Amino acid sequence: MSEYFFISLAAIVAIGVVAVLLLLSTILGPRNPNRAKLTPYECGIIPQEEAKGRYPVRFATLAMLFIIFDIEVVFMYPWAVSLGELKLFGLLEMVVFIAILGIAYIYIWGRGGLEWD
Amino acid sequence: MIDDIVHFFEPYIYLIVGGVKAIIIAVALTAVVPGLVWLERRLMGRFQVRLGPNRVGPFGLGQPISDSIKLLFKESIIQSSADKFLFHLAPAIVVFTAILSFAVIPITQPFEIFGQTIGPWIANIDSGILFIFAISGMGIYGKVIAGLSSNSKYSLMGGLRSSAQMISYELTLGIAALSIIVMTGSLNLVDMVKSQEAVPFILVQPLAFLLFFIAGVAETNRAPFDLPEAEQELVAGFHTEYTGMKFAMFFMGEYINMVTMSSLVTLLFLGGWNTYILPQNALTGFLAFAFKVLFLLCFFIWLRSTFPRIRYDRLMTFGWKFLLPIAIFNLLLTSALKVL
Amino acid sequence: MEHIPSPTVDLVSLAPVLVLSVFAMMVLLVDLYVKRDKTLVIFISLVGLLMTAISAFAKFDLPVHSFNDSYVVDELSVFFIMIFTLSSALAILLSIDYNKREGIRMGEYYSLILLCTVGMILLASSTDMIMIFLGIEIVSICLYVLAGIRRSDPKSNEAALKYFLLGAFATGFLLYGMTLVYGATGTTKLGLIAELIREEQIASKPLMLMGIVLLIIGFGFKVASVPFHMWAPDVYHGAPTPVTAFMAVGPKAAAFAAFFRVFAEAMPVLSPSWESLLCIVAVLSMFIGNVGAIMQTNIKRLLAYSSVSHVGYILIAVIAKNSLGSSSLVFYMLAYAFMIFGAFGIVILIGRKENEMLEIADYSGLAYKHPLMAISMSVFLLSLGGMPPLAGFVAKFYIFSAAIKEGFVTLVVLAVLNSVISFYYYLKVIVYMYMKEPEGEFQISLAPMTVFVVVIAMVGTAGLGIFPDPILYFTQH
Repeated sequence: MSEYFFISLAAIVAIGVVAVLLLLSTILGPRNPNRAKLTPYECGIIPQEEAKGRYPVRFATLAMLFIIFDIEVVFMYPWAVSLGELKLFGLLEMVVFIAILGIAYIYIWGRGGLEWD
Repeated sequence: MIDDIVHFFEPYIYLIVGGVKAIIIAVALTAVVPGLVWLERRLMGRFQVRLGPNRVGPFGLGQPISDSIKLLFKESIIQSSADKFLFHLAPAIVVFTAILSFAVIPITQPFEIFGQTIGPWIANIDSGILFIFAISGMGIYGKVIAGLSSNSKYSLMGGLRSSAQMISYELTLGIAALSIIVMTGSLNLVDMVKSQEAVPFILVQPLAFLLFFIAGVAETNRAPFDLPEAEQELVAGFHTEYTGMKFAMFFMGEYINMVTMSSLVTLLFLGGWNTYILPQNALTGFLAFAFKVLFLLCFFIWLRSTFPRIRYDRLMTFGWKFLLPIAIFNLLLTSALKVL
Repeated sequence: MEHIPSPTVDLVSLAPVLVLSVFAMMVLLVDLYVKRDKTLVIFISLVGLLMTAISAFAKFDLPVHSFNDSYVVDELSVFFIMIFTLSSALAILLSIDYNKREGIRMGEYYSLILLCTVGMILLASSTDMIMIFLGIEIVSICLYVLAGIRRSDPKSNEAALKYFLLGAFATGFLLYGMTLVYGATGTTKLGLIAELIREEQIASKPLMLMGIVLLIIGFGFKVASVPFHMWAPDVYHGAPTPVTAFMAVGPKAAAFAAFFRVFAEAMPVLSPSWESLLCIVAVLSMFIGNVGAIMQTNIKRLLAYSSVSHVGYILIAVIAKNSLGSSSLVFYMLAYAFMIFGAFGIVILIGRKENEMLEIADYSGLAYKHPLMAISMSVFLLSLGGMPPLAGFVAKFYIFSAAIKEGFVTLVVLAVLNSVISFYYYLKVIVYMYMKEPEGEFQISLAPMTVFVVVIAMVGTAGLGIFPDPILYFTQH
């Protein structure tokens, strides 16, 4: 029996917990909505426009940077596990890999990709 | 008769044991949350030279219980322009991922009971630490979805900030953990603890420990990195629009994540269930583990009452320009030392 | 733990790629610290291209297979590396004055051209479909950015977006095709595929045939052949002119190299199933390219359509799939590079800061004011049409003779007919230059580097036409 089977067991239990919590809150809570309750909270000011709209593009560029670096990190996991076997060859390969990544990093830094204002 | 029953259940014993373990851990995690809330409020009270909750029950222990009962009976308001399905899905994801990511954490060494060797974990998989990163990474979805589906400006900003912050610090977290993986040559958490039998990795890898811990605090959205829910500016951020139990579920997720993160730090750096000085068996192992986790949890709370919240641009700069290069440097140093 | 097999690493055969990558990164870093002056960046780029061209000769006993048979250095790839470095160098030279005029100050521009060239080298030298895919991706991603590098110009943005969306879509087709071929044969190595499909059982699998069709679609998009040419006019129009010239030559040549390797070298056995399809694509490309070009009033769009029709001619070399086909392919690409860079060089020279002078009507009376320029433009256009004794004629001649040798007479007749049609619109531009009165003032400042490119292109176009033998000798041996 694969150990992953137990993970699916845990997932089922977790779903159960979530379902119970959601159900209880729906069943037990009272229900008397009014208009003020149903409008989005904006510190008491009546909302003028939909919240969904434009948001700063910095978040999108940050997501891209994350993708770049995270994929590099994903490559490092199998490497880290087998470093004991790869020895010096593995280390050199990773140094080259990180050097290339480092150039990208310096470039992003230099072009202001990491500034936040 | 009993033999017959035992015989009948024999093939299913792994299933029963697994199910019981899963239920125990899920219930324990759910139950530990009110305790943590109480601990936090009491400790915060001490730190701020006041009493904290002390009216309901001895030492105010009844306070979190009555709070959670109150939350159950609160009206759950869904504002009219919100997306109903996603609005419910978001807290579900947060709690689900929080509970599930604990599944691979070994809380003590394997022990024997009724002739069965039981591993004190739900699953012992070879990709343990990857599993935790993957599942807890999914928790970000919960926060983003909460921010988007609420259709409120504070929620949206909180959700975006939360995701940006968490993905930024996930890099540091992963790379700091890589140093340990290089040392142990395994992703399995049990193997990692076993390789710390002589000396915990915090002594060998102090820098990785610091990086991992700081990133861990940021990952769990705890002060001083609690910008997603900054109550003064964002009115609690992505869960502004949530009420009642659904609101509480976000806190459940956060506190369970705190426990998971503390456990992970314990397993990776503090030697897990290794007692070092006391005699080593399953019970003392568990106590050692629990003590270390509790210590870290108190440390989390201590941090919260000590440091002011840092500014958002500083947070990002700190993660990307300071922690990340140091983490990579540490990784290269570790692997060079390992190979040479 | 199991032993991890390490691939057969042969860094020397990878030398061009490595050298160029290092230079591209150097450009990126130098540009960060030398913000104002682009001279150093340009100088480094050109040196990098030169070093790459030299390092392509690092291996002597060709062909050399390395990296578990996924990378090859053979005559074809060496020759293609020459074409790539030449065209990239010409593109960079062409950009110097253009970028100054249009205010493109990003050093990434040069780095992207170099990285694109890296992708092209990989594309032309790989014998593994995964490598081909990687090469195509490197090339395409660089081009998407290059097409949109004039960020404040809506046309440029449009070009980049169109190119990106359609390109990503086509890449999907290509990848699906590769997947299906892998499903049918169980390998991505072109050499192994060539052996495996000798068996009737594998060759006749529907998966295989489906995969081939999808591969044709994918490659067809990348080289802009009909019916996957829709992006070409808009992208060529919107992209900065040096990038347009670059796009029309280098990446196209690289895609054709991969096209040739996949179809003519790995799957000649299956030719009954892809030959007719490619014939249709080739004929359609010629016809629609030429007919489309007739209706254009914009010189960049005209050249875009004409390049679509040229794709049709070049496809004939792939269909011919003999050794003459491969040598005529490289010869054609070389000649085409000179003609296109020359023509676009003139287009850049005529434009000025506020008005790029891209309408054909803008060329009215050019011959009276600037006879030399009009003559060079006429030479390039006539060579594109295939007028003897220019390079275009010799190139077409070799492709057609390769096809006739394999018995594709009808195809060649259609191609020749098309060449005749194409003269109509090439002559139209010449008529405007020589027989119309000037409409407005030409304000031409002879930017030295652009003139230099035009002169090189002129020498190339005339030289290849009159003395094709040395190059032909080189391509055939």
